Amino acid sequence: MIKMLATNGQNKKKTFHLDETDLLCKNGCGFYGNPAWQGFCSKCYREVYQTARQAQMQHDAAKEASQTPGVIKKVTGLADVKASFSRFEEKKTQQVNKRSNTFKSFLRKTPNKENQPLVKEPRRISAESQKIGGEFAEFLKSMKRKPAAVEISKLVRGFIERIQHNQELAIDDLSEMVQDFYTSLSEKLNCLPVFKGFNPDVIDKVMDYTERYILTRLYPSIFCHPSTNDEERDLGIQNRIRSLHWITAAQLDTLINENDPAIRHELDSAITDIIELDSKRATQDKLQCVVSCSKHIFEVLRQSKQGPASADEFLPALIYIVLKANPPLLQSNIQYITRFANPTRLMSGEEGYYFTNLCCAVSFVEGINAESLNISQTDFDRYMSGEAVPPGSGNEQLCKGLQLMYENLRELAELRQRQEKVMAEALQLQADMNEFKEDFIKQVDRTKENNPWMVRPRKVKVDPDAELSGNNSNLPSPLTPLRVHLDGSVVQQECNQGGPDGEVEEMAVDVSILVDGVNVVNNSVLDSKSDIDDMLLGDGRFLEVGAPVPGEDSAGAGGMWEPNQGTLSGSMEMEQGSG
Amino acid sequence: MSGGKVDIKVVLLGKAYAGKTSLVERYIHNRFLGETVPYQNTIGAAFGAKTVTVNNKNVIIGIWDTAGSERYEAMSKIYYRGAKAAVVCYDLTEKASFDRARFWIGELQKHEEGCRIYLCGTKYDIVEENPALRSVDEKEAKALALDVRGEVYVTSSKTGKDIEKIFINIASDYMASKAAAAQKEDDEEIVKLRRSSKKSNCPACKS
Repeated sequence: MIKMLATNGQNKKKTFHLDETDLLCKNGCGFYGNPAWQGFCSKCYREVYQTARQAQMQHDAAKEASQTPGVIKKVTGLADVKASFSRFEEKKTQQVNKRSNTFKSFLRKTPNKENQPLVKEPRRISAESQKIGGEFAEFLKSMKRKPAAVEISKLVRGFIERIQHNQELAIDDLSEMVQDFYTSLSEKLNCLPVFKGFNPDVIDKVMDYTERYILTRLYPSIFCHPSTNDEERDLGIQNRIRSLHWITAAQLDTLINENDPAIRHELDSAITDIIELDSKRATQDKLQCVVSCSKHIFEVLRQSKQGPASADEFLPALIYIVLKANPPLLQSNIQYITRFANPTRLMSGEEGYYFTNLCCAVSFVEGINAESLNISQTDFDRYMSGEAVPPGSGNEQLCKGLQLMYENLRELAELRQRQEKVMAEALQLQADMNEFKEDFIKQVDRTKENNPWMVRPRKVKVDPDAELSGNNSNLPSPLTPLRVHLDGSVVQQECNQGGPDGEVEEMAVDVSILVDGVNVVNNSVLDSKSDIDDMLLGDGRFLEVGAPVPGEDSAGAGGMWEPNQGTLSGSMEMEQGSG
Repeated sequence: MSGGKVDIKVVLLGKAYAGKTSLVERYIHNRFLGETVPYQNTIGAAFGAKTVTVNNKNVIIGIWDTAGSERYEAMSKIYYRGAKAAVVCYDLTEKASFDRARFWIGELQKHEEGCRIYLCGTKYDIVEENPALRSVDEKEAKALALDVRGEVYVTSSKTGKDIEKIFINIASDYMASKAAAAQKEDDEEIVKLRRSSKKSNCPACKS
């Protein structure tokens, strides 16, 4: 900016020595040009700039497409976004370079001679660096061994300067420098006489603080270093994850039950942790994020599965979390940790283990294909291109309100279902009842048909005497029946024709019945003692011979009719003879 | 790291449900899941660390459980990178798991030479109860172990049989090999010292 103004000023001063043509637009349109527009007039500059910009965009798009072949079929709209992003990338790289240049020049001008290295350049170092610097200084003081503390701070300070002087080195060389420094510092701590008597815990702590401090200080210059393709890979994985948004937990064979609110909460925590990875500077803190995320995943699995999870379940779940979280600058972070963390940290312990799992997850995501998801290639292609969405996916990225709404809808649907079920069951019950009723009626009818029970009039004791007495008045006298008293002793007066003792010893009853045209003649000898108890002769359907009524004289006797033999038609003749 | 702690990375390889997790659980917490311990009380057993003492030295054994599914086969290299020992598990009652074990061993030999291999048959308690269920021949396992210059361990996480033994052996083997390597280094250094002393003597002689 200053430089530009200066040239402007020079131009003004030299105006008198310049031809007018020098001031005109380079395009020769007749208007005056301006150095700020690279010698063009405003209109021509805009035109030139536009064409240049378009060319650049096309070039970038082509470059992008050739660099990531086959990953995603790019829509032209996407290419535009990409192009503008890669311009942004370039700009950022330039800025980094510029910064590092000025940084170096600044350092050269002010070689550091302060004894306390940790509070130097207060205006330049970031808040994080200041904080960790302060902590480190506190720790060194707390060791209460000044020579040792001074030695450590000298080593660390020297190293940071060395790195800052060599920032344009390739990232691998920087990584090697850092790793060498860890090794040499560790050796020194173990062997140098200044540090004699340090117990292993203190040494570990010193190493830890050193790593933390160095990396926090150097973070801006070594994270996502311009000499690497980390940023490209970041974008690559980010796009890849974005196009894999449709993957469901079930497709990865994880047991995550996302509907449970408690599990959902744990899932969110895991996702937050993995996203936070990018916001930390020191490798320890980054690794801690990974560990914390993993712990949440285990909790998720424990609740979903009602049992402890093993690596067989953990890795798919982690992959799922990575896919759902799409953590920013994932590759850069992984590379950064791999390059600059103390290798012992990555080769052992929980941190190392979970970090390795994260690497595996990322590697899996990069290589995900139809086969690894157990779906057909055509389905995979369709899902990847966004043409189709697999069933059951896409509900995860909703906001809370929508989630709640969906939950309510689901509950309502469930209620409705239950209601319908109740309704259906009620109807069923009604139908059943009707059926039962009809069935019952039918059965009753059938039974009635099969066994036409008649309603039998009440049994009435027939008084044969009364009946006979009415009828036999016209009979000739010998046929007049004898009337016998119940006790059998008194003979009725009218019956003069009977035996002298008034008792009928034997009665031959000849009953001839015509039933349906069949003449049934029933002869039987009735003992006077075994009398006919009950005879229904009037409308004569039933005739029962019951228990004998002693002493009762009966004028007639009959056989037995089956009750279902219809009406008795025919005459009944009674003959009476006395023995 | 010549001084204090020794940390070794031991990876567990094997087919899913070969009993890796139970092995870790038994070794680290000395318990068998599903019987005395309700499942709810354990959070995952994918990583475990335990300190054992070998020759008066504390060795921290970090056990890394791995996903055994074939889907993640390509990633297994990332897991066993830098591992000092690998416990390759197979289910005594499942032939397929033994074939997988064979595969892991091949992979390990190809990619991670510094890694000692320990072949471990699991679920011995089942075989003990019903010998007919055994589907991996002992001879076959021994032959494979011979191939990797290792031993076959027949274990049961349920009873705890031989579990401790594997890890003690891993630790002592590692310490022995480390001592041997240090010895070798020392020898080389002695040779170097002699040479350099000669060289340094030369100018002294001359002067």
